[in-house]
Formats: sequence, structure tokens, C-alpha cells
Amino acid sequence: MDGERAVEAGADAPVFPVGGGELGDLIRAFDWSNTSLGPIEAWPQSLKTATDIVLQSPLPLVMLWGSDGIMIYNDPYSVFAGQRHPGLLGSKVLEGWPEVADFNAEVMRVGLAGGTLSFKDQELTLYRSNVPEQVWMDLNYGPVMDEGGKPAGVLAIVVETTGVIEAERRRAAAEAKVRQSEERFRALINATSDVVYRMSPDWTEMRQLDGRGFLADTETPSVAWLDEYLFAEDQAEILGAVNEAIEKKDVFQLEHRLRRVDGSIGWTLSRAIPLAAEDGEIAEWFGAASDITARRQAEEHLRLVINELNHRVKNNLAMIQAIGAQTFRNTEDIAKAQASFTARLQALAKANDLLTDEHWVDASLQEAIRSALQPHRPDNRARCVVEGPSVRLSAKTAISLSMAFHELATNAVKYGAWSNDIGAVSVTWRVDETDDARRLMLEWRESGGPTVQPPKRRGFGSRLVERGLAAELDGEVHMSFDPAGLACRVDALLREPNDG
Amino acid sequence: MTKSLRILVVEDEMTIALLIEDMLTEMGHEVVALAMRLQPALVHAQTADIDFAILDINLDGKQSFPVADILTSRGVPFTFASGYGSTGLGEAYTHHHVVRKPFQAQDLEHAIELAA
Repeated sequence: MDGERAVEAGADAPVFPVGGGELGDLIRAFDWSNTSLGPIEAWPQSLKTATDIVLQSPLPLVMLWGSDGIMIYNDPYSVFAGQRHPGLLGSKVLEGWPEVADFNAEVMRVGLAGGTLSFKDQELTLYRSNVPEQVWMDLNYGPVMDEGGKPAGVLAIVVETTGVIEAERRRAAAEAKVRQSEERFRALINATSDVVYRMSPDWTEMRQLDGRGFLADTETPSVAWLDEYLFAEDQAEILGAVNEAIEKKDVFQLEHRLRRVDGSIGWTLSRAIPLAAEDGEIAEWFGAASDITARRQAEEHLRLVINELNHRVKNNLAMIQAIGAQTFRNTEDIAKAQASFTARLQALAKANDLLTDEHWVDASLQEAIRSALQPHRPDNRARCVVEGPSVRLSAKTAISLSMAFHELATNAVKYGAWSNDIGAVSVTWRVDETDDARRLMLEWRESGGPTVQPPKRRGFGSRLVERGLAAELDGEVHMSFDPAGLACRVDALLREPNDG
Repeated sequence: MTKSLRILVVEDEMTIALLIEDMLTEMGHEVVALAMRLQPALVHAQTADIDFAILDINLDGKQSFPVADILTSRGVPFTFASGYGSTGLGEAYTHHHVVRKPFQAQDLEHAIELAA
């Protein structure tokens, strides 16, 4: 009877539902008699009207009708449903979405009791294409009344916000990464002892420099940086390297001198990289400069030492040549001359030892004399007295003095106070200080030896002492052949070692 | 060598200074002044009556170029003597004659002939 009437109605009226896209077709074709809704021709008007509202909405809508929540939805919802569509149509909501059955059971309970529910960015795990998917949705539920004014179904607006949420999360993660990177960068800047600087693209302006106590700080952009940090004579070379880096848009790296915060000369290894703007042009240069002053000073010192060593080796060869020439000239007794030559070389070697021990800087007068006399002096301490205040000598003066005292000592052993068993040598000195000068007054005095006779011919030894030592000390050296014992007096202006 | 020259010797190594003095004396020259440090060398260069000078470049850590400057201004010819060779010469004297240590009497003689 009802069926006939529907057919009759269909003859002069459009078939329900009208339109509604793909879902409209599916709903018209669906056999609803197997559901609790019964055949579509027998649906109450309230259900039909609600179905029309669902089908005509541009928002994804789903309606859950009856106590078991039979699902009727529209095309936008079918997109959201993925592979569940079209199986969801006409199915019970708890069976259609078993993974969120608890959630939907609560929705049905509240909705059919006349209540509404709203969820913003509700997180759910759905199996739309047989794999778990984390999704977020804005969900709004409200009851749909039947002809008797009682809730018969629940209408749901389902807007998936997963894309928005994921974009938001990506942005937050990216921000956190940037923040972390910035923190690391700040930590690096704090941890490093390097000077950090920023330059304008063409290096005319220094934007900032954190001097770390090595250089003066530049806190606001300045074009005066060149003269502030670099010495005029170095600027051309440094700017050359800078311009090359700008041209190649490549790393600037150079070891160069600069003016330290205290105004003194320092050395740095400076390295800067170009930071590119979005258009590919250089936005600025970011650089770090380490203080290599100590290293450069050590290198310079080493270079000086090597030069000095080289010089000394050559000089020593020249000295050996000189000693040889002097020892062997006019000699009749070759064996004696050889012994004397060897003794002089030993004295020279000992003098050099003295300086090696003292790092070739300076030596003490006391040490120079003791070391020169040591190979020649008798064991009896009373026969060799060396006394005087502490005096520092330059390396060169120490060697000359050693050589001269070697000559005096050998002479004493051969002819003087140390040639018998009782004679003695005393070497004493004092320093006379006046307002503007210090004078060294030194005396070598022999006693108790054989009666002294003036030599017939002045040999190398006495020339070395009288002429050589006098010139070395820029003073007076006088030998007197007193019959009671040889005396040698030195009167010389004392200079600080290396003071000319 | 027929002419006897009056020579200033500036050499900071005592034994070498005496050797140079002997060499020059044997050649018939006279060493009128011997200086081993910069200060006395400057005084002699200014005041001594000399025809020629032999200058060690390094005088106990100090370079003898100021002495060379005085000699140049006085028109006194000179030669350098050095263990450094010509690398130790300052810019102004790059091309000046240097006798390398150790040297022989004839090297010195040659240098005197070249300069004097």
C-alpha cells in the first residue's frame, strides 16, 4: 500500500533525494530495507529533510540516525572517509569506525539525549586505508529531531584539520631548530676565545667586533676600523686579500699584524666567510680572528736564534782560524805549538759551554774567570783566589775574558806563580759606582813564583790580554812585569750586557 | 801593494780582530784604531785619521751600519766583514762589498784594492 503510493508519487514528483552528487546517487540506489531505517520510500519527513541538508552542504557532514547510528553522509565527507567510503554508507557508526567506537558511542549517547558536543583539533587514530593514521579534526555534533520533537539522530560536521596541525607542528619544530642553532651559535661565540666580527659586503664598514680583551670592541657600525685596527704599512696587503675574497665570494683568510687593545703590535689569524642574501649577493661577512701573537713571537725568536747560531758557527770558525794562525806563526817547536793550540780551543769550547748553560744571554764574571782557570790551577785552594762582587757580562765579553784568562793562566803555569809548588794567583775586582757610570777595577796578581823577567818578545797571549781585552772592554789593560810577580790591571767602563 | 794605508778595524771578536791586525800589518798597513763595540767604533769613525776601514756587521748584537754611514759621509772607503754573508746587509748597503768569514789575507787584500 505504502509502496504503491510512493510509486504513484514518483510518477509526478522527482525521486528522493534530489541531486546530492555521488552520494545522492548512492543513497537513491541503496537498499535501505536491510537497515533499521527501512525502505527509503517510507522514511519520515524529518529524516528526508535532514538527509537533504546533509547532501546539499559544502561542509563534510555525516548524520547518524536512530539508536544504532546508521550513517548518511555527503560527498565532502566521502573524501575524508578515504577507502572506508562507500562501505560506510548505511552502516552502523560503531561498526563503520570500530577504532573510535568508544568515542562515537559517547557522541550517540549525548546527541540522542538532546545535547551537543564540540571538539577543536581532536586527535584520533583512523584506519582509512588499512594503516593507522594520526588525524586531527574539528568535530561538532548536534541532535536532529523527529516529527515528535524527540532526538532521532545526530548531525556531525567533520572538518579535518590534520594539514593545518601538521604545518603548525613543522613550523614549531623548525622554529625550535632555529632557536637551538642560535643557542649553539651563542654558546660557540661565548666558548671561543676568538675575536668575532661582522663586515659590510664590500668591507668598507665594520658592523661589529667583539674584541675579547685582545682588540678594542666595535659596537656600532664604523668605517674607521681600518685605521683603528691595522697599521698603515700593512693595510695594502690586507685589503688585497680582502678584495680577492670579495671578488671570488670565497673565504678570506690571512695572518697579519694588528693593533692590540693596549696599542701594541699583535698577530692574528683572521678568517671570514661571506653570508649570501636570498638574491645570491653577499649580505655580510662573518669572521673570527685568533690571537697568534705568542706563536709569531716564538717563531721570530726561533728565527733570531737560528740566525745567531749560524753567525756564531761562522764566527767560531773564524776564531779558530785566528787562534791557529797566531799559535803557529814564528813557531820553532811544532809539538809545543800543537799542545798550545789544543789548549786554546779547549778554553774556547769551555767558554761556549758557559754560555750554553746560561742560554747565550749573559754570564757572570766570576763564572767566566773560574771556568777559564779551572784546567790550570793547582789543587790547593789557597793558591788561587777569585774574589769580587757579582758582575754580569755580555756573552761576547765573557768569551773574550775567558780567552784572556786562559792566556794568563797558561803563562802562570809555564813561567809564573803556578810553575813551582808554593806560588799563588789572586784575581780580585771591585765595581766603582759614580753618578753616571760603573767602573770595573780588576787585578790579576801573582806572588811566590820565580823572579819575573820582562819577556824578550811579546807573544800572542800578552797581545790578546793587553790589546784584545782592552778593546773588548773599551778600557785600559796593563801588564806589569814586577819581579815579585806578574800583575795585570784592568780598568774598564761597565755597561749593561747588550748595551753597546 | 805599495801604498801603506791607515786602517780602522771594527770587529767584535777579540781573536779575529788580532788576526785582521796581523794580516794588515803584514801587508804593510797600519791599524790605527781597533773597536769591538758600536760606541767606540762610532767615535773612531768620526775622529780617526784613516784611509780605509773594515767593519764587522754584527757588534755584540748591534749592527754597524751607523758606522758605515759616517764613513760614507766622510768619503772613507770600507768593506764589511761578516759571518752572515751579504744576507746580513741592510737595504742601503745591499751592493756593498763583504768579506765572508772565515777569510784569508788575500781576500782582505782584494777587498782593499777594490774599495781603496
